[in-house]
Amino acid sequence: MSEQDRTDLAAMEKTEEPDLDRGVIEAWAAKMISNPERAYRATFYVATIFFLVTTLFPFYWLLMVALTPRSDLSSVGVLTPGGFNPGAFVEIFTRLPFHRYIFNSFLIAVVATVIVLFVASLAGYVFGRLRFRAKNVLLLSVLVTSFFPPAAFFVPLNRLFNQNIDILRPLMQDGSLYNTPYAIFIPLSALYLPLSIFILMTFYSQIPDGLEDAARVEGTTRLGALFRIIVPLSAPGVATAGVLTFITVYNEYFFSSLMTDGRPGSWAPMLEGILRFQGEFEVLFNLMAAASIVAVLPVAILVIVAQEKIVSGLTAGAVKE
Amino acid sequence: MRPLNWLETQSEATFAYVLLAPAFLLLAVIAFYPLLRTFSFSLLADQTAAPTPFGEFIGFDNYAALLTGEALLPQQFFDPSFATPILQQALFVTLAFAILSVLFETLIGFGQAIVLDQDFYGRRWVRVAIIIPYAIPIVIQAMIFYLMFNPTVGFAAEFMQGIGVFGNNPLTNATDSFIIVLVADIWKTSAFMALLILAGLQSIDRGLYDVARVSGASPWQQFKYITLPLIAPALLVAMLFRTMDAMRIYGLIDATAGCQTVPSMSCLVITALQNTRRWATASAVAFLTAVVIGVLVLLYLVSLRDTEAGVT
Repeated sequence: MSEQDRTDLAAMEKTEEPDLDRGVIEAWAAKMISNPERAYRATFYVATIFFLVTTLFPFYWLLMVALTPRSDLSSVGVLTPGGFNPGAFVEIFTRLPFHRYIFNSFLIAVVATVIVLFVASLAGYVFGRLRFRAKNVLLLSVLVTSFFPPAAFFVPLNRLFNQNIDILRPLMQDGSLYNTPYAIFIPLSALYLPLSIFILMTFYSQIPDGLEDAARVEGTTRLGALFRIIVPLSAPGVATAGVLTFITVYNEYFFSSLMTDGRPGSWAPMLEGILRFQGEFEVLFNLMAAASIVAVLPVAILVIVAQEKIVSGLTAGAVKE
Repeated sequence: MRPLNWLETQSEATFAYVLLAPAFLLLAVIAFYPLLRTFSFSLLADQTAAPTPFGEFIGFDNYAALLTGEALLPQQFFDPSFATPILQQALFVTLAFAILSVLFETLIGFGQAIVLDQDFYGRRWVRVAIIIPYAIPIVIQAMIFYLMFNPTVGFAAEFMQGIGVFGNNPLTNATDSFIIVLVADIWKTSAFMALLILAGLQSIDRGLYDVARVSGASPWQQFKYITLPLIAPALLVAMLFRTMDAMRIYGLIDATAGCQTVPSMSCLVITALQNTRRWATASAVAFLTAVVIGVLVLLYLVSLRDTEAGVT
């Protein structure tokens, strides 16, 4: 081969290089190597889509189960229902009074939230703004309660709530708190109190002293200054604590499942309603799915409306330590 | 004199105690007193037939019986040979669940936090999507995974059997159910880790990364020498909270596989109470659970102190 030919070949190789028969993937990989920024961007989109699919797919599939008629339940696909029967969303209210269960849950969550906000406002004000000797010890004892499992409190509370107490007789038929909303919202208010105390403490401590002093000079009482100045100025903090308490009480399982006998008239919360569709003779999968979707809507809406509050509350509660 | 006026004349300390009274009254009735009672119950003998469930004082015999495996509790299926004492099984299940779930949640939460830390169009909605599982009721989380792994309706059971990991009815098999409960928990609570890690990431001074880039640090080196050390305290606090929470696992198990299939410590308390009426033994298990969690919290606090000492 002459010198001339060799250079020709080299030239041919050079010109042919871009035309090499590359697959889509190789071409893509070459681009990525020459431009790493693009690679990071692509990884980012893949990760985002992966997280979106893994978190949202279970809800989508739950809807597919709810829409499948009972006779076709074995043919529910991964992406498609095994038929079309929106009637399940009506049947959950006719077969069981599911609306009553939801109402019970709502009532328990609202009452617990009101109690927690009031009690935690007083305590948060003390820990956030006042100076006194036993402060750190008391704050620590509040923190300690939040690390015990609910099971550690359950045996004595179960005994207490099943006891017939004479002074309660005018209020409850048999004088015991079992099968009443009190048996659920009293323990839950206490157990979720520490989180709200920490959130409100942070917010209240940020209000300038001058504002409170001005109100006191104008003639408000100490409590008046707290509820007319400090609490309104910390409205975002109060909303955060309220939203988080409502969601955690509504979602709670341990006390909610153990403090009633599960009948709607005994103030059983929503979780008993859903579990009741696991009936004695047949398991009503589509109704369980439909009831779950109905019961998840309130919290889902709350998360969409108040996501900033939830994020700031969760981080404040944990970082506080 | 009206009570409010009386309050005006008191010192700041007295005023503080008055305002704290409702909170501590509530905590005393629901937390402090029951905790002490649980301990005193655990020192009594069981009476399964008598009208009162507690017998005479027997000291630490309940604990001894539990630790040696002589305690009479409903048999569980986790160890079919029944050779392992039930408390050891429960302790193993609870600790394995806590360690594995916190480990995976930290890794996945880290990934989610890094995604949410970027600036992009629709970030708000991606964040909502990632938080939603964390905000849903435990019973609905349990229903989703119960249905998915149910042999009749669920596709996941079939798929896992297809690749040979699960048996015929995964929700009655202890090992399979343990994995299902673990996956369900990771699905729900990774978001919590993500939010706390994100808060840590956003508190880092961005100037540090500019300096690192100018000095020629690779993205991995930036992560290792800037990101990781600076978010370590926030990460440990988040892991502490998650560990405490994972150690109490009850509802998710109760509503999916059932407490007999996957016996966690909290499950054991309830089965001892409801199925066999052994209140004193249940109290002993409950108190042991609290002790185990206390030891873990101490371990975390020690390592947290060390990281903070290392940073400064």
